[in-house]
Amino acid sequence: MISDRLKKTILNVLHLEDFEIQDDTRADEVPGWDSLNHINVILAVENEYKVRFKNIEVLKLKNIGDLQKLVDSKTN
Amino acid sequence: MLHNIDLNKFLSLFTYVPDDPLLFSTAEFLFFFFAFLIFYSAFSKSRNFRVYILIIFSLFFYYKAAGLYFLLLIFSSLFNFSAGKFIGQSESPLKKKTALIASIVVNIGVLFYFKYTNFFIEIINHIGSSAITPLDIFLPVGISFFTFKALSYVLDVFLEKMEPEGSFRDFLLYVSFFPSILAGPIDRAPEFLPQVKGDVKIPENYIGRGIFLIIAGLFKKAVIADYIGVNFVDRIFEMPTRYTGVENLLAVYGYALKVYCDFSGYSDIAIGVALLMGFKLMDNFNSPYQAASIAEFWRRWHISLSSWLQDYLFRPLQMKFRNLRTLGNASALVITFLICGLWHGASYTFILWGAVHGLMMAFALFTKKPKQMLYEKLGISNSKVLHVLQVIITFHLIAVTWVLFGATSFSSAMDMFSQIFNYFKGGVFVQFVQAFPSVFALIIAGYVLHFIPKSFEVKSAGLLTKTPLWGKALILAVMIWVVAQAKSADLQPFIYFQF
Repeated sequence: MISDRLKKTILNVLHLEDFEIQDDTRADEVPGWDSLNHINVILAVENEYKVRFKNIEVLKLKNIGDLQKLVDSKTN
Repeated sequence: MLHNIDLNKFLSLFTYVPDDPLLFSTAEFLFFFFAFLIFYSAFSKSRNFRVYILIIFSLFFYYKAAGLYFLLLIFSSLFNFSAGKFIGQSESPLKKKTALIASIVVNIGVLFYFKYTNFFIEIINHIGSSAITPLDIFLPVGISFFTFKALSYVLDVFLEKMEPEGSFRDFLLYVSFFPSILAGPIDRAPEFLPQVKGDVKIPENYIGRGIFLIIAGLFKKAVIADYIGVNFVDRIFEMPTRYTGVENLLAVYGYALKVYCDFSGYSDIAIGVALLMGFKLMDNFNSPYQAASIAEFWRRWHISLSSWLQDYLFRPLQMKFRNLRTLGNASALVITFLICGLWHGASYTFILWGAVHGLMMAFALFTKKPKQMLYEKLGISNSKVLHVLQVIITFHLIAVTWVLFGATSFSSAMDMFSQIFNYFKGGVFVQFVQAFPSVFALIIAGYVLHFIPKSFEVKSAGLLTKTPLWGKALILAVMIWVVAQAKSADLQPFIYFQF
């Protein structure tokens, strides 16, 4: 389950009004989330939650559900 | 006496002959492949048997191209298979990382030794004015391709995109699979390996699409690329100063078409041949000159390499530099494309070609916002006119950089530009068309075909699928006849074979 807070962070940085995001949604399925924008999304999530991901943790992400799990593991 | 010669000739078909690999557009390959295909369709009902037949034929195919260096292929498979297993079994992140780094060092080290040693000796001599003699190193064809393929597997296991492969036999087939061994596509293990274990039945549409791709590939490679290359483009690139600016300019357009038809044609045949055996390789080209930006061009050109570089080089670099934001992205792009240039060959011109591509994309990153504002001010953002202009400008930027790629040296590339700007002689154009009508017609036809919508290709492949087998064979035979007519007396090596 993707939290509203994470969803909002992603939509804000991509300037999207609304977009359905599920656990198995992949980054490239979200409009504007391309390889160049990728760092802006990661930075926005890090800033929102005041966490710092390791490079390898980000590279292993397969979908947005994984990102949610990563955020949860850092904030709990 | 006479039958001795014939016997030797026949035997030489099965032994390694230097500089005479089984290229897809040669009669020898077609002979071998059809003989193999008959055998294959009879015996490939059993999964195990099918894998063994393919491995044996693949190793034979590579032996024909590189002689005893086919052992290198077995070494690479064995080493990377073990590295993947070790990473998968290790518990500690440190062990995994150490194994990954060791594997990268070995893979890149082997590639470096065979391909770049002499280039770096040349650079050292140049800087230190020393005189180290270059080594006599044989370059095994396709080494850049299969090294990247095997390395991607280790990286995928490390990044947990797949479980380590359990069967060495299946992994050996992944690395040595003959359709893609010499010039790609650089396939990925998570897509390929399940097909080795999957259904042995070949779907009907694979056959139709396979034959369509072989026909299209033969036409692109052996008719368009070779013909305009031998009869026009190559001559200008060899001696630009002997020709007028208008001929040089036409050669620039010709080369952009040639390099595309040569390489994508070869890829098409590779993908087609694989389909006839029931394997789907990844797409490698998608009408690259229809791109409206350099970045989009790289999503359409040599996709299996550009996506490799994006996944395993650009993304890690970008993450490392992420605090620099746009500057971080730009630096990651420039480094990635410098390496992309170097991957293509050991020379300054290739490195420069890569650097220019990286810098163009970095420039586009920094100018993205002001450009968008300008388009909105002019009220042309998302308009058709703007899109057409972007495609035209992108194509010309790419065509200019191809000159660096195809020229014999940097100064020769500069000569071409200087001829175009200082010695144009527009009137020669008419003479050129009169002297080389078929070259001119093929260049025009090649570009027209490039801009035909994709739906046409899908329809053609669908029609071919519905055609009965004798019809397919007839169409293929006609194409082979056309190729034979267009073929020049001596065989043109593939541009991409030096990589």
